[in-house]
Amino acid sequence: MRRPGPETLLAVPVFVALFYVPYLISGYTVFILAQYMLYGVLALTLCLLWGLGGMVSFGQGAFFALGAYALGITVRELDSPWLGLLLAVVLGAGVAGAVGWFLFSANVRDSYFVLVTLALSTIVYVVANAQSGLTGGFNGMFVPRVSFGPLSLSGDLSMYYLAFAVTLASYVGARLVQASAFGRVLVSIRENEDRTQALGYPTALYKTAAFALSGAVAAVAGALYATDAGFVSPSLGGVLFSTTVVVWVAVGGRNSFLAALVGAIGISALSNALNSVVPEYWQLLLGVLFVLVIVFFRRGVVGSLLMVGERRHARR
Amino acid sequence: MDRLLATGIDLTTSTLVLALVSLGLAVVFGLVRVINMGHGAMLALGAYLAWSLTGAGWPFPLAVAGAAVGVAAVGFVFEYLVIRHFYGRLFDTLLISWGFYLVVTELIKVVWGSTLKSVPNPLPGSIAIGGAGIGRYEAVVCVISVLLLTAAGAVLYRTDVGLRVRAMIGNREMAQMLGVDAPRLYRGVFVAGSALAGLAGALIAPLFSIEPDLGTLWLVRAFFVVTVGGLGAIVGGTVVGSALIAGGTVVFSVFSPQVFAQTVVFALAVIALRARPTGLIGRTAVRA
Repeated sequence: MRRPGPETLLAVPVFVALFYVPYLISGYTVFILAQYMLYGVLALTLCLLWGLGGMVSFGQGAFFALGAYALGITVRELDSPWLGLLLAVVLGAGVAGAVGWFLFSANVRDSYFVLVTLALSTIVYVVANAQSGLTGGFNGMFVPRVSFGPLSLSGDLSMYYLAFAVTLASYVGARLVQASAFGRVLVSIRENEDRTQALGYPTALYKTAAFALSGAVAAVAGALYATDAGFVSPSLGGVLFSTTVVVWVAVGGRNSFLAALVGAIGISALSNALNSVVPEYWQLLLGVLFVLVIVFFRRGVVGSLLMVGERRHARR
Repeated sequence: MDRLLATGIDLTTSTLVLALVSLGLAVVFGLVRVINMGHGAMLALGAYLAWSLTGAGWPFPLAVAGAAVGVAAVGFVFEYLVIRHFYGRLFDTLLISWGFYLVVTELIKVVWGSTLKSVPNPLPGSIAIGGAGIGRYEAVVCVISVLLLTAAGAVLYRTDVGLRVRAMIGNREMAQMLGVDAPRLYRGVFVAGSALAGLAGALIAPLFSIEPDLGTLWLVRAFFVVTVGGLGAIVGGTVVGSALIAGGTVVFSVFSPQVFAQTVVFALAVIALRARPTGLIGRTAVRA
């Protein structure tokens, strides 16, 4: 049997620690950490696109917001969280799949793909603002804590463990995708799309599938976020939030799912802690860190640490 | 009839304002192939500088010039420290200049705060045209936009510098062998693009309220202008792209709410992008 690599070795303590957090601390930390884990899931969806497939999306917030509104509106109108979750998946996968196929089949890639995803998040933001009858417009909408069958999310603890389970499942799922034949084709597309195409792989189809998958998972994370936070506003779909996801993944490390996850949770937690102390300067520092990572450490902060582990792992 | 005239005026002003905002981006994207996401922050910085300078008692035209110089200086520093190492790596420039956007936007928040600001209209009043009218200041901005577009075309196609720039874009190595100082020209183009962004930001400052993120929506629209119009066709592409994006929004908003019109136009722009990746009047394909 293969020895587990450094990423797996580090992932185990991270998830064990996340599992035991509510045993050690309670109150606000548990409430807010559940949200950060859902942000982490969102970061995983971008990492799947960027780290594996080499596609950068500046529009992941759009899918997150779609999922959040889908759940919020369905619960309000039909009182059915299951239907809301289903709608989130269908919308996330549907919009991403349709936009993805439309672009990839015409060989639109890289910078133009970024431009279109940027427009996507602008559109979701603008429409959510304008359709105030449906979404509450600029003021946002309140979403109650729902129950999925016997599982009531009214308590912060049950919400926390649902978010934990979804995060763990997304992480394991992402690693499985990475190890699968599908994941290897995505890596091949990242390295050289034309050659992959020449080898007979329908690359547009693969990229569309990856984008649809990431859209669906991002929408589920958004739906759970809606009921967790209790409030959805258009800014979730906006350019600023969408690009924050890019910052999490870049600073954490785009080549490793764990790095992206830790990046999202860590940066969100730090933002929260430092926003009350030095609000402007922290965001400024984050911007500088982003530039430094792009220029010097392409693997990101956590990713670079993992790289050191990998080298030692390989030497043994 | 008056309604038609008013729509026509609206169409013209929106197109020319958008062309003004997009020109700096078009110059940098089209000539030195840098996807400058920082363009949005440069617009905002220009607007804030204009606010501060007019507040300090400078006459408005001088404040606009000061804003352009200030943003050009920031662009110079950014080019010198970062961008010059990334020419030819289109996709990396996108990410790095996004970092620039974040840093400059946060600096703006540190210096000026996040509250809405407004620059008083330097030329209040309006000019009557038939049954419709146009604000005097809007008219001036339109004229400046036309002048800048013409000047950009003239510099590029009628001067020695323009010839060198075009030679450098056509074949960098060959141009360098013939004595073109490519690094200096690249820097010059980037700084010129920054100056244009600062100028545009300062000029539109009296027309809209100023906030640190004001560049975001303009950035998305300007990108569509440049890509739909066509890369490399600096003047023509900017005009055609602006007419389609701004004009489309005006036309659709006659029948539907403004936001919906904006959305429809973005969607149409995406379709145009798919159908003609080189832009409507662009010739050369650019592999991004």
